[in-house]
Amino acid sequence: MKSLLPRAPTTAPALIAVAAGALLLLWAGGNAYNLSLLGLLATYSLVGLGMYAPLAWAGSMSLAFSAYAAIGAYSVAVISTKADAPVWVGWIVGAALAVVVALILGAATMRLTGFHLVAITLLFATAFQTWLVSANWLGSSNGIGQIAALSLGWWHPSARALVIGGLALVVLIAIGLDRLRRSSWGVIARALGQAPLAVECCGTRVPRITIVMQCFGAAIAAIGGSFFATDVQGITPVTFTTDLVFLVLFFLILGGTSSPWGALIGAAIAVELTVRATFFASGGGLLLLALAVLVVLLIAPSGILGLLGDARRRLAAPAGRRARLRGDVTR
Amino acid sequence: MTDPQVWISILEQGCFYGLIGLAYLLGLEGTGFFNFAVGSYALVAALMTSWLVSEHGYGVWPALILAVLVAMALAALTELAVVRTIEAKFQHGELPSLVAVAALLFAISQVAGMVFGRVTMPGEPFYSFTPIAVGSAYLTPAVVGVVGVAVVAFAGVSITARTTAFGRALRAVGDNKEASRILGLPVGRVRLIAFAVSGLVAALAGIAYSSQAGVSWDVGLQWALLGFLALVVGGAGSWFGPLVGGILLGFVQEIIELYAGGQDVDYAMLGIALVFFAFWPKGLTSRAVRA
Repeated sequence: MKSLLPRAPTTAPALIAVAAGALLLLWAGGNAYNLSLLGLLATYSLVGLGMYAPLAWAGSMSLAFSAYAAIGAYSVAVISTKADAPVWVGWIVGAALAVVVALILGAATMRLTGFHLVAITLLFATAFQTWLVSANWLGSSNGIGQIAALSLGWWHPSARALVIGGLALVVLIAIGLDRLRRSSWGVIARALGQAPLAVECCGTRVPRITIVMQCFGAAIAAIGGSFFATDVQGITPVTFTTDLVFLVLFFLILGGTSSPWGALIGAAIAVELTVRATFFASGGGLLLLALAVLVVLLIAPSGILGLLGDARRRLAAPAGRRARLRGDVTR
Repeated sequence: MTDPQVWISILEQGCFYGLIGLAYLLGLEGTGFFNFAVGSYALVAALMTSWLVSEHGYGVWPALILAVLVAMALAALTELAVVRTIEAKFQHGELPSLVAVAALLFAISQVAGMVFGRVTMPGEPFYSFTPIAVGSAYLTPAVVGVVGVAVVAFAGVSITARTTAFGRALRAVGDNKEASRILGLPVGRVRLIAFAVSGLVAALAGIAYSSQAGVSWDVGLQWALLGFLALVVGGAGSWFGPLVGGILLGFVQEIIELYAGGQDVDYAMLGIALVFFAFWPKGLTSRAVRA
């Protein structure tokens, strides 16, 4: 319970994230492939941040986030190609639609938790995927291509500028979630996962607050989908299969759920394993992530963030205490 | 609907979903844990049998026995290495268990895809024979296999649970693990056997069912979800609950496929799940007294 109490906000993680982003952009340079990897990193991070709040705070494992991301992506595609409206309108419409869908699904599954919630949200994600494949007006299995490039009035951002914007958005949302986590609302939200009855007794309606978190997460995931469609300028249903939601779940656990920054660490690992590491091609990266999650759960449940936190505490501890800590580890 | 072949298909689908549901129930009874990885045990057994027969020239029965043993070993390993450790590490909250079984399902399916290939493989019937004519319908080896496995598995588990020491111990552990341990019951061994039997049931179901339409490395999740739905719809109150749920799902699936289209099956399954989770969360069968 002590972990629920708000601690003084720290800017260190945000500064580290900004520095890491700057280094990655330097590494990418003007190379189109490297920029596409950073675009994917921003997409994974956004979907991960969307799933983070309900999962890490309320312990609500909804696996419908592939559908929410798809809603964001298809909104951009439809608005751009069928309505000839600016791409940014698709971002807003996508986030709003995802919130509505999350609200309906949340209301229908309000009293469900655990395995039942997992099953029903997976069935929803599967049914949504089937609908995407069968909807002719959404291009069926071919999806929608030739999405217009993003333009904001007089400004037409280049591919590099778009990726920089995407990464900046990721950092901003992570900072926002971190602040929210420390706020009084965040304390209540996090208490849901640990003591829902106590929260209910305090007069807060647990199902309602869970639905709010689901809607909030759905909007962020939809923004991730919108960013992807804008970056790639095309979309197909296979981008948003249930594999995506499992990938996001695994990298969230791997990165650590004690703060939103774990989602960014996990997303970077996911991109490295599933795209860049050719040794793990053909699903091997996903296999490695699944195995890593099992190992993390069994050995270091707080993920990479937890390991980093432990290392920091050890380094910061005085010599005598450090020796005791080492002794603890040996034992 | 008047075509008897449709009813035979309903029976086949229903028995398969019911068997996967029974595999869940065995694990649930022993550990209170919905082991989603049962879908991947069925998948591994089906793929391995087909792979050994078609790629390595094994006979059907040696391949089948090997595949079933591998699935049972995977199930036992799940209990030993994952379920016990998660239980010991996390006293409260379902989240770690949920993530662990999802990761396990995924890892096993991916390994199966890497080892046995990412192509659809033909299934292998237990015993090949010319389809038997029953009126205007035909009983294929796959139908006989799935229904035969279902009859033996449901009757066997039900009788074992009622009449043997192991069955009583399993129910006792399911009722109250701590009390069972205090009273000296071999809780660990009972749970391990329950998981191994769960792997056996899932493996036989997967092998029998795949002999009709073949098997692909990525169907584990779908099988796991439909088996779970069969258990929820049928209810965990009776050993025959998953069979009841499975038959209902098979009926809906066949009717939808017949009158609407294949893609509408996914919507129907979601609808069934929503209705049952909301209005009949305990399913169609319930057990008032554990006698």
